[in-house]
Amino acid sequence: MLKVENLHASVGDKEILKGINLEVKAGEVHAIMGPNGSGKSTFASVLAGNEKFTVTEGKVEYLGEDLLNLSIEERSRKGLFLGFQYPVEIPGVTMANFMKIAVNEHRKYRGEEPLTAAQYLKLMREKSAIVELDSKLTSRAVNEGFSGGEKKKNEIFQMAMLEPKLAILDETDSGLDIDALRIVATGVTRLKTKENATVVITHYQRLLDYIVPDYVHVLYKGRIIYSGDKSLALKLEKEGYDWLINDYKEE
Amino acid sequence: MHHSKFIEALGAMPLTSATVDGGRWVIGLEGDKSVTIKQNSHVELLVHCSAHRQMLRLNVERDAELRIVHVVTMAECKSNIDITLAERAHVSMTQVVLSSAEAKVVANLVEPHARFELGGAFILKGEERGVVSADVKHMSADCSSRTTYKGVASDNARGKFTGLVYVAQDAQRTDSEQLSRNVTIGQARIETLPQLEIYADDVKCSHGATVGQMDEQAILYMRQRGLSFADAKRLQIEGFVKDIVLHAAIEECADKLSDLLQEKL
Repeated sequence: MLKVENLHASVGDKEILKGINLEVKAGEVHAIMGPNGSGKSTFASVLAGNEKFTVTEGKVEYLGEDLLNLSIEERSRKGLFLGFQYPVEIPGVTMANFMKIAVNEHRKYRGEEPLTAAQYLKLMREKSAIVELDSKLTSRAVNEGFSGGEKKKNEIFQMAMLEPKLAILDETDSGLDIDALRIVATGVTRLKTKENATVVITHYQRLLDYIVPDYVHVLYKGRIIYSGDKSLALKLEKEGYDWLINDYKEE
Repeated sequence: MHHSKFIEALGAMPLTSATVDGGRWVIGLEGDKSVTIKQNSHVELLVHCSAHRQMLRLNVERDAELRIVHVVTMAECKSNIDITLAERAHVSMTQVVLSSAEAKVVANLVEPHARFELGGAFILKGEERGVVSADVKHMSADCSSRTTYKGVASDNARGKFTGLVYVAQDAQRTDSEQLSRNVTIGQARIETLPQLEIYADDVKCSHGATVGQMDEQAILYMRQRGLSFADAKRLQIEGFVKDIVLHAAIEECADKLSDLLQEKL
């Protein structure tokens, strides 16, 4: 589904990603871990198409296409979803209205008719139940005045509405109490199928108790320096990153 | 404004007399006009421009309530609305400017306990030039005023807001707020000049002005969900000015004003 080869990316003169290789197949869950500032969020942003970053080298193939040639919205319509670490507030724009346009853009892209008002309401009800999102929130402005937990639930609600093929969740667990974490993580798990794939970026093992990864990667200084199975996350939780990153300290 | 059907639906009749004591009316502004709103009455006015220069004087008598919705869609028009409020008169006004125009509102609060509220929005694009001004003159004690004006300019448009709150020496216990918030997109520019001139010592006056850029993060967020850049931009602007329209002085105008904004975006 996703094949990243030797990906380099910079912001201004500063190179942040220094040759990432990663392959994600349908049905898989990958976790990307690593210390602060190692490039995890940048990696997610580059995959989503954030124009703040310049790709200087390498290639990314997504569903057999050159991902880097697609605009942000085209990537979205082709099924790539980014759960934001810091969901953005949009005053005056209701969740319901925003998602209606989004869902119908996706449908238009697939050559489908827009949803009727009744169909849309039904879909919203179904999907908000997945993350136990208070249905009142959908009539409020996007993320405005939402608590930290509500914002993250809202990300997963949007993911449920758009049914992505590849979901990249950037620190969806940060700032969540244990109940919100359970709800968000259970939501993600319920959306899992054999046809889609998930990449979770996280600092903590605790999220991976719910979203069990097939692979765990350690990103450090812009490269994936180590990959393993889910036991790697447990080891990192216990022993930290030092045993892995010592060799890279000099760079 | 080519919205005769809308006006019909609102049941507004063309206003011809110089005094009114109730009802909902529509005024096409041309030349000079003076209208007196009789005391204790409740009157609603839909105002639009039908000539390039107009002046409307409104004399609002004691205990009268006047609600005004003023829409400027005609290019190159200069409109002046001058309102005088007597004791306990209450005027609530919504002004939407969607073309190269000069729109000036002056409210004179000449007797105690008068209240004036203005919610305004201008949206300019292309090469349009818009100048709006709102002067609120507190001449008597215990009056209150609220002005919120929002401006959006994109492309090469230029917008300007001037707002004056004047508080005379006798106008003690004046309660006044003035807010000018603006968003520019691309090369567009907006100038905002809020002014306070206060001669009384026991007053509560606040004012604020901001000119900001479009929120790039919000645009990115919306595009990540599949919205085109144009839709994301439109939605953001709409969201920015929406409260002005939602709280239209004549409630039934909200949808129509919203449609006008949509067309403009």
